Amino acid sequence: MSIFADAQIWNSTLSMAVPLALPAIGGTFSERTGVVNVAMEGIMLMGAFFGVAFSYWTGSAWIGLLMALIIGGLTSAAFAWGAIRVSADQVVLGMAINIFAAGLTAFLLDTVFGFSGTPPTTPKLPNVSLPGIDKIPYVGQIFTNQSILVYVMIAIVILSHWFLFHTRLGLRMRSVGENPLAADTVGINVWRLRYAGVIIGGLLSALGGAYLSIGVLNSFSVNMTNGRGYIALAAMIFGKWTPLGSFGAALLFGFSTALGIVLQGNGVSSNLLQMIPYALTIIALTGLVGRSIPPAADGLPYDPKR
Amino acid sequence: MKKKLLSTAAAAIALTVLVAGCGTNSTGGSTSGGNATGSGGAASGNKSDLKVGLVTDTGGLNDNSFNHLADVGLQNAQKQLGVTGSVVESTSESDYIPNLTRFAQNGYDLVIAVGYLMHDAVEQVAKQYPKTHFLIIDDTITDRPNVSSAVFKAEQAGYLAGAMAGLLETGKSLPNLNSQNVVGVIGGQNIPPVNDYIAGFQQGFKKEDPNGKVLLQYTNSFTDQALGSQYAQNEMAQGADIVFPDAGGCGLGAINAVKSANKYAIGVDTDQSYLAPKNVLTSATKGVDTAVFDTIKDLQTNNFHSGVTNFDLKGNGVGIGKVMSGVPQSVIDQVNSLKQDIISGKIQVSTTIQK
Repeated sequence: MSIFADAQIWNSTLSMAVPLALPAIGGTFSERTGVVNVAMEGIMLMGAFFGVAFSYWTGSAWIGLLMALIIGGLTSAAFAWGAIRVSADQVVLGMAINIFAAGLTAFLLDTVFGFSGTPPTTPKLPNVSLPGIDKIPYVGQIFTNQSILVYVMIAIVILSHWFLFHTRLGLRMRSVGENPLAADTVGINVWRLRYAGVIIGGLLSALGGAYLSIGVLNSFSVNMTNGRGYIALAAMIFGKWTPLGSFGAALLFGFSTALGIVLQGNGVSSNLLQMIPYALTIIALTGLVGRSIPPAADGLPYDPKR
Repeated sequence: MKKKLLSTAAAAIALTVLVAGCGTNSTGGSTSGGNATGSGGAASGNKSDLKVGLVTDTGGLNDNSFNHLADVGLQNAQKQLGVTGSVVESTSESDYIPNLTRFAQNGYDLVIAVGYLMHDAVEQVAKQYPKTHFLIIDDTITDRPNVSSAVFKAEQAGYLAGAMAGLLETGKSLPNLNSQNVVGVIGGQNIPPVNDYIAGFQQGFKKEDPNGKVLLQYTNSFTDQALGSQYAQNEMAQGADIVFPDAGGCGLGAINAVKSANKYAIGVDTDQSYLAPKNVLTSATKGVDTAVFDTIKDLQTNNFHSGVTNFDLKGNGVGIGKVMSGVPQSVIDQVNSLKQDIISGKIQVSTTIQK
């Protein structure tokens, strides 16, 4: 088909996959250590808001990014404390964080910046075209003028896969999500690794949020993540709790959005196209990938005294 | 265990919706006049202590567009007419009826519903509370004596914006215009208030650039900025160098993308040139603030009238905003003469979209 002759669709796919892949991989880290994480949406919102706010206040998008990571890390640390130390219900706690973040960011946007929102002069992160690759026809177009976070995401996909499945620490992290008692018996600090998993998850989710506010755009709007944290949750499950799988699922969802944009120009009903991502998810979850099995101790608080 | 988790998750989601739907913002300073008059409406004598409730649609107050303008109108009324105003934002379409009902229940004299999408909700609540006055923006409700409808001839504003785009494409009078004569339109949803702008834009553009091409896509979102940005990039990749987003908050993302690519955009509803002064050619504007203000004033002076009020180019109910510096004076002059032709009736603008 002629629409695939234009590299724009792959360019869009990659761009729309970033805010799904990053939180999905973040969720993978958290759930692999045994903590169910549904707070991605809220942490993304925190990252998105504080990213753009500090970018405006300091005049540097890089400081904005750093602050997005710090705030996202702190939010997830609070979540981790409740989920691990206090053994609170992880799903309820995660949803509470989502509600809290949606309210807080909307409130701060209105009170700090007023109803006209963040000023249009707010700096954003640079877009980069890879030298060399951008000269290759077709492939070059895919990587032309993408946010620098697109390349960061690709590096994170590879690094997380290597870390989780090819390092000793990665193995330990996975072991506390499968059988914390056994891990504890051989001297692994279960709680510490779970904290690490949740906080890495928070950092990656905040990065995904910052991608929206200072990577693609330079502004924040109320609820700007638009449910991407939940779609990332689906991508993580669809990707069988692996970084490569999550990335693949995020690309598939990104592709269906991009396909929606392109096909519509060819006279296809937009309402029909809007459901493609969800139809794909259902088909994939029921048929193509078989059953997705979560880590055995996912969602179960670990109390060493028991 | 899994089942329990799922049900708690479902309960938590339901709670989110509830909590989010109830957030009230009291605008302006005049929160003192909170004396509940009970029934309110047609019978109340002293009209200076009117209570006016505004319900936004899902775009919210910071859409830099439609809902924002309604709030501006209300704030002006608070300052100049001394009424008491209160705003509630709808986070989903299921909030419309509860939000409208709450104001009616609390004895508000006038409840303003921003947007065509609230048609059914207003019909229902207005029937339930016949003593409360309602104003619906951008929609027509004629069969209720307590509902006034403000309708905008958005196609006229769209026509002028389209004509300017056509003149600039044929004249190549701005830097960074390519030779393809393609412009792009991004609609939020395939609904009349959006399509009116688009239909006018198409006619105006075709009049000045008969061989040019207008791309048309709908995002099905008035809020997702990142998606709006992707649509704009897609249209620019197809050669569009002037993009006209008509998608509320989602359109802000499109303007953002246009700015990054150093192309041109046309704002919508409110004057959006401040978003990107070097890229926003002009804006097709809608006097939502005027409509809100006038209706409050009418109610205050016992002149509230049900039925449809039309806002058009003639009374500056619609129009075009600030024109970017760099647009040649000859283009501005031609657009102004087209405006006179529409006002005089020499040009009739239709609301039918060309596919």
